[in-house]
Amino acid sequence: MKKTAFITGITGQDGSYLAELLLKKKYQVVGLISRKYNIGFHNIESFKNQLILKEGDLLDKKSLEKIFKTHQPSEVYNLGGLTFVPTSWEKPTLTFDINTLGVSRLLEIIKTHHPKTKFYQATSAKIFGQPQTSPQTETTPLNPVDPYSVSKAAAHYLIQGYRDKYNLFAVSGILYNHESERRGPEFVTRKITLQAAKIKLGLAKQLVLGNLKAQQDWGYAPDYVEAMWLMLQQSKPDDYLIATGKLHSVADVCQIAFSHLKLNYQKFVKIDKKFYRSIEAQAPVGNASKAKKILGWQPKVNFKQMIIKMVENDLKLLKQGKKL
Amino acid sequence: MTKGKKVLITGITGQDGSYLAEFLLKKGYQVYGLTRRTSTPNYERIKDIVDKITLISGDLLDQHSLSHAIREIQPDEVYNLAAQSFVPTSWSQPVLTGEFTALGVTRTLEALRIAKPDAKFYQASSSEMFGKVRKTPQNETTPFYPRSPYGVAKVYGHWITVNYRESYNMFAVSGILFNHESPRRGLEFVTRKISHAVARIKLGKQKKLKLGNLESKRDWGYAPDYVEAMWLMLQQDKPEDFVVGTGKTYSVKDCAKIAFEAADLNWQDYVETDKQFIRPAEVDVLRADFSKAKQKLNWQPKTSFEKMMKIMVEADLAKEKKL
Repeated sequence: MKKTAFITGITGQDGSYLAELLLKKKYQVVGLISRKYNIGFHNIESFKNQLILKEGDLLDKKSLEKIFKTHQPSEVYNLGGLTFVPTSWEKPTLTFDINTLGVSRLLEIIKTHHPKTKFYQATSAKIFGQPQTSPQTETTPLNPVDPYSVSKAAAHYLIQGYRDKYNLFAVSGILYNHESERRGPEFVTRKITLQAAKIKLGLAKQLVLGNLKAQQDWGYAPDYVEAMWLMLQQSKPDDYLIATGKLHSVADVCQIAFSHLKLNYQKFVKIDKKFYRSIEAQAPVGNASKAKKILGWQPKVNFKQMIIKMVENDLKLLKQGKKL
Repeated sequence: MTKGKKVLITGITGQDGSYLAEFLLKKGYQVYGLTRRTSTPNYERIKDIVDKITLISGDLLDQHSLSHAIREIQPDEVYNLAAQSFVPTSWSQPVLTGEFTALGVTRTLEALRIAKPDAKFYQASSSEMFGKVRKTPQNETTPFYPRSPYGVAKVYGHWITVNYRESYNMFAVSGILFNHESPRRGLEFVTRKISHAVARIKLGKQKKLKLGNLESKRDWGYAPDYVEAMWLMLQQDKPEDFVVGTGKTYSVKDCAKIAFEAADLNWQDYVETDKQFIRPAEVDVLRADFSKAKQKLNWQPKTSFEKMMKIMVEADLAKEKKL
């Protein structure tokens, strides 16, 4: 019998890559579509007809229960949520209601009606905030510094609580930044690759950025969704940190993207303080040795390869006349 | 100068809210309390001061009611003491606990940020945030590891308070209070459950007392001592977080022994243990290192554990005799 996986946030970057991975592994894939907070279907357009898409919302427990009842998923990946830090300052209560209480709602359903179902929670490295030790591991103390990160930290603890109290197979994957051709244009890597491609084609003149020295541990999203799946195939539920262990700056992204297009980024980049975050987090960098040892996981695509893939894809989309 | 200052307390009908209101009235504050409309109002703990305070209808679940209250009152200080505060209930109602205990903080901070950003804000944080403790004793820098939806919600409330302080420069502080008891403690909490049972057994109204893990230890202080620490935190020049506790731990067994002795009874004759009351994912030993509060607030507990248990037993005896 085919295994069924239920993915929240299926239209997002990670959800769409994960859906493709699971389809290849012969899963039946059910995706949650929120009517209210839908970002559109562009990420899943090419394989949408192979998916079962169900309307519902992390804010609405009944809608989730119905999906569980109909499809009896053996694996649930909770990737849905409000993910952009500046928005979390504008909507702090909604951020918590979706990102944290959404997890409570799912765990309650699993606990009550589907205790065998395995649950993956998408946790962000932002829960470490400005970490006091570097690199971070699964046991580094949390120190979140914005409503998004606080909501994710609270959800992370809920997973541990439900796992210990009810023996559920619930795990939290602490993923560092991961980018791809499907990253939203509000995130800095995609903002850069897209604008570089526009400049190359004469569609734009400059690129306005915040702090060029800001660094991140950036990995490639398709590599990271594989780690999610691996976590649910273990005999014991446990939390894992997923990262590349390497730091690159915003300037590095610009350098790779523009020079791939034979442009000098310094001629096009303008700095605007408005893009500095109110508290700019120190660069977290992850130590994924537990994932390497137990899951046998490691990143396959390196930083430079990833940025080049992103630029080429943006160039291709723009040449096709896509409005981006 | 505290005379004429305005203060808003959420959770004013609870143990801490009622003691704090009394304390602030003595200091000359104008005290406002946020209360939820319920079909049977419970003003038991504030019945002696209800004429001296102003109760405003509002709910932590309702942003509009909070914004309205803060706009109208223009408080100088706000103490957020309201919460769904009972750990076992947080397991049966985890979503509501989050809505109330965690999001209530964000809603209050949002209301202040917009309508009264220079007000000082106190958030009631809890030692339950340490949960599965990483080290003992715990101070302001000990990592959190909450073990229940209540603990998780409190951690969220703590961090969001720190976030608003750091990002919006608000005078917002989090007081990490270890367990604190009193004759006004709810009957669902073990110290009060014991003192209440002792009084009833003494008066022949009850025969046995069922308890969970007798070895379970806590750092238990006296609530009236603790509300003073809350107030002191808001009188500092700089907003900072503080741990408040006694630094001493006693077991449930110690608690029973002292309480029964206070009524000239032997606890072993009456106490039975019941597995039903043993919490899963039970927290480890919580013990406060309150040296920062001692140093900067010049605060320390005044009432010993033995004295507190005696006060509680006597209060329950007096109450039960009247019934």
